[in-house]
Amino acid sequence: MQYILDYIGAAILGSALLLIILSATDTAAESQSVYNGDALVQEILVQTAFLLEGELRNMGVGVPEGQPTILWADTSTIRFLYDINRDAVPDTVEYYTGTIGDFASTQNDLDRPLFRSVNNGAPLTVGSVTVFRFRYITQLGENLATPVSSTRLSEIHSVEITMEVQNPYAVNRSAEQIAAGERTALYSSSLWQQTRLASQNNRR
Amino acid sequence: MGGKAAIILVMGFMVVLGYVARDITVVASRAQGNMSTYAAATESHNLAITGANIGLSKLYQDTSWRGTRTQKPSFSPNGSFTYTIFNGANGRPVLRSFSVIDGPFETIRDTVEVLFGAQTSQSFSLFFWMTNFEGNVFWITKDTVWGRVHSNGALHINGSPVFMQKATTSKGFDPPKVGVGTNKAIFKDGYETGIAPITFPTDLSQLLTASTSGGRKYTGDIYVTLSPGTAADNDGKAYVRSGNTSSGAIIDSIDLSDLSFNGVLLGTGRVNVEGKLDGRLSIASQTNVWIQNDIRYERDPQAGLSNDLLGLIAEKNVIVADNAANNSNCEIHASIFCRDGSFFAENYNTRPVGGELKILGSVVQNERGAVGTFSGSTLKSGFSKRYRYDDRLSNESVRPPCYPGFFTTTYAIGSWWESVHIPKFN
Repeated sequence: MQYILDYIGAAILGSALLLIILSATDTAAESQSVYNGDALVQEILVQTAFLLEGELRNMGVGVPEGQPTILWADTSTIRFLYDINRDAVPDTVEYYTGTIGDFASTQNDLDRPLFRSVNNGAPLTVGSVTVFRFRYITQLGENLATPVSSTRLSEIHSVEITMEVQNPYAVNRSAEQIAAGERTALYSSSLWQQTRLASQNNRR
Repeated sequence: MGGKAAIILVMGFMVVLGYVARDITVVASRAQGNMSTYAAATESHNLAITGANIGLSKLYQDTSWRGTRTQKPSFSPNGSFTYTIFNGANGRPVLRSFSVIDGPFETIRDTVEVLFGAQTSQSFSLFFWMTNFEGNVFWITKDTVWGRVHSNGALHINGSPVFMQKATTSKGFDPPKVGVGTNKAIFKDGYETGIAPITFPTDLSQLLTASTSGGRKYTGDIYVTLSPGTAADNDGKAYVRSGNTSSGAIIDSIDLSDLSFNGVLLGTGRVNVEGKLDGRLSIASQTNVWIQNDIRYERDPQAGLSNDLLGLIAEKNVIVADNAANNSNCEIHASIFCRDGSFFAENYNTRPVGGELKILGSVVQNERGAVGTFSGSTLKSGFSKRYRYDDRLSNESVRPPCYPGFFTTTYAIGSWWESVHIPKFN
């Protein structure tokens, strides 16, 4: 009788410990998944930001003085001249976003590709963004309406870039975790903003 | 039995928790590594920029200095920068700055290279008043000039005109000494004589090219009427008629807010202009521009914010027509440029007294023209002058579309290149 009670007690205690372990493992895995997603999103964002920032800082390199540097400036598109390979021939570089439909295969319903095209060649996807916005500011601090008219492109002194990257894959939440107006799935996200990016070459 | 099970249970528990702890540690150390990598990449970039700025300072202190310097700044214990200034292939100096920093996973290097423009382009609209020759027209008492003044010839002074900003000439003053004889000019921001002449362009080819690539070009004489559209901003239009009257049939209508229009309108013959502008436009003629009536901005920049800008550019002359509309005051909001002629009033010495000629903008001409005649302080014919510089034009980047410019040799930055470093994450 005694050892039967021991077995029952051990089974209850073992089950409880097993449940705790399973629960702890589940929580740890979920947390790791979220942290991993956050880290991935930040890496994607930083790499895209470094590329974008680096190229925008070089706007106008190799462009003869007096000639326009920025050819087209819109809310989510910018086309500018920059001698990428330093061969004394300015190249046309364009950044623009695709549509949400371009990334229909991802779970995220807001992400779209960020394209980079050189000399009107085939676009290369350089990132995945959910928000991608430019503002164009003159030396006097005026925000230019977009698309910036061709007569005012030369006045662009600095560019403000706002970019958000979200994980294409979601972490599902229970119904009680979702506030009104929120999406049912949770996506890791990172927002980056460069408020006054001024190419030295625009100051000529 | 029970004791062995408990040991196995505890060991299993340890294995599982150990695995979980390892995962958490890996994520935490990865996040830390990423942050360090990002910080190192940013620091490397900033070090290269710092080197470039210090090199620039060195060059501007002594433009003949060439050499290499390495610095290990105290704020960056793991990094250093080296800047070098040498002569490039075109004989102009080149500044190159390298940075090196020991990152968490790799050595990070960045480069900044600065080329100095042999020449820099500046707009003629930076001057309120500029001439190649002043002719025989004098600046006299009661003339007050806002904005920079320059002449490649000599400025003739008779009395005490006031120059609010710096006045420069290539050939000095007539009479030569300021404050002596009839030269009692007052220079609020100083003056300088004997400076190098500022060369006018040899033609208007830049405008001609712009008119055929995104602008408008018309053959023969045309009449341009500017319309401000509605009270809204940037909805102005320009109506173009053939001939020299405002009653002809419209041959073209230009929406100035059209993004495909580059803002240049050029006629090969006489170009007549009047109206109110809402937008930015350069009106050019390969002969003469005739002002037939007031030309104003919809939004007066003296009264508030305005983005309206007009250039009146002529190969020869810009002429204020002798007509009824102009003979009771005339107001012009524009930057006026006469490449090989003058800005003057038609029949300036025989036309009736026309009141005031008000200009808000700038006047650049080959030879100074006249707009009226005086006897003492009494106007005998034409206009008395009320000229005012449009202060917005003092900003180099604010000028009418394709407005002519000139080149000056400087050590201004011609090209600033930075290496693009994409950090690698662990």
